[in-house]
Amino acid sequence: MIEFLKWLENTGFSTWIRESPSIFAFPTILLLHTVGMALCVGISAGINFRILGFAPGLRLSPMNKLFPILWLGFWMNAITGTMLVMQDATNKLTNLDFFIKMIFIALALVVLRRIRNRVLSNPQVDSTPLSSDARALAYLSLLFWIGAITCGRLLAYVSPLIEVT
Amino acid sequence: MESLNLAHAHLLLNHLPTIGFAIALFVYIGGFFTTSDSLRKAGLVLFFLVAVMAIPTYVTGGAAERTLCPEMKCPPDVSAQLIRNHEDLALLAFVLMETTGFFAWLALWQLRKSSQIAGWNWTVVLLFSIVSVGAMALAAGEGSEIRHPELLDAAEASLPVVGESEPTGIAKSIGAVVAGNTGIGWIWPAAETVHFIGLCMLFITVLVVDLRLLGMAKGLSFKSLYQLLPLGMLGFLLNFITGMLFFLAAPGQYVNNVEFHRKVVLIVLAGINVLYFMLVDETWAVGPDDEAPMRTKIAAVLAIFLWIGILYYGHMLPFLGNAF
Repeated sequence: MIEFLKWLENTGFSTWIRESPSIFAFPTILLLHTVGMALCVGISAGINFRILGFAPGLRLSPMNKLFPILWLGFWMNAITGTMLVMQDATNKLTNLDFFIKMIFIALALVVLRRIRNRVLSNPQVDSTPLSSDARALAYLSLLFWIGAITCGRLLAYVSPLIEVT
Repeated sequence: MESLNLAHAHLLLNHLPTIGFAIALFVYIGGFFTTSDSLRKAGLVLFFLVAVMAIPTYVTGGAAERTLCPEMKCPPDVSAQLIRNHEDLALLAFVLMETTGFFAWLALWQLRKSSQIAGWNWTVVLLFSIVSVGAMALAAGEGSEIRHPELLDAAEASLPVVGESEPTGIAKSIGAVVAGNTGIGWIWPAAETVHFIGLCMLFITVLVVDLRLLGMAKGLSFKSLYQLLPLGMLGFLLNFITGMLFFLAAPGQYVNNVEFHRKVVLIVLAGINVLYFMLVDETWAVGPDDEAPMRTKIAAVLAIFLWIGILYYGHMLPFLGNAF
């Protein structure tokens, strides 16, 4: 397993990301990861705040149209995230914090799908009061995204479980 | 251009918060006595604008100190203690000013929403602006003595100019705590996390409002999108506070970092862009399925570019600049 991580970290592509002095290598990939986060979590959070009663005049059903941007952000992060993990595989994939982050993201996605299918896609969403389930989903979604961002940020500070030399 | 440095920028900018806030306060109170809504609004706009301009004024102070005292060693005719005193008073005035700016923005927001400022907020803006002007005047007075020793009064002049120990102040102490020098290591990482959460809140508001202005997600009315704006402002507030904590903790990483200068310039421009949206009526009168006017679309495109630019330069601090 460790051999595989070492191999992954030393592929030409990983080495390029890590060691190239080009601004388009590591810095730009990390930048895209941040922008993707803003798109994905930002729009998701906006919908959650609306469900929780913020900006009550805003209709929920047109918010479905924002999902392409949300998914654009998500896939940007899936791709750039994979690159960022590859170039430091022996540290990131041995770090408990990384796996907690992945669990948070998985949970956030499950909740997001539920919000989309059960709340936003309901044709009566703007004419009937929102259920307490919808509010619970919105709270959970905020919680999971905050968890994912916190774990992601902490990856820069928390050391891995095993020291790979 | 080599003769013009950031210390000069600090000297050019430093009168603006003091005089600007005094004028704004005058206009604001004038609006109260004449019960003129436009005068009151003008006062709020001035508070907001000057609060925005106070950001470059504050952050260029660090560069001015480094020009006067290279390598943090002050020449005999410059008092390090005076600089610390000036920095602490300036920080206090800055915090009060930005608080006033935030509530002034909120008052502008309330004005459009319910055509009046909430009573409590009227008082909050008044109180904070008065205290700000006072603190700012003290900070400016202390600042002027740094280069004008002839203004020193007798008691201060008798202080030893070059101390053996490095003088510390409130700003430096806060910085040391955030940087983890007192043994609490989690504050900086926690502030970074909050900075990212604030970024998401700010960005969602910018994107949803501006993309709707450009024609996406029709069905969302501008009148209701307007309710979303405080969320973005709250995100900015979180990022401003955490950003200032980083600045206090490691000023050396920022004061002479070109990427940081660009970021601050873009923040000022973005502030003006926000003000434009707060003041134009045509944007918010557009119905749920209508097109926004061309002028507004241009301002929306600018907003998206400005905020992505701010994110870009913030992100590039360690890569293109000298941070970390």
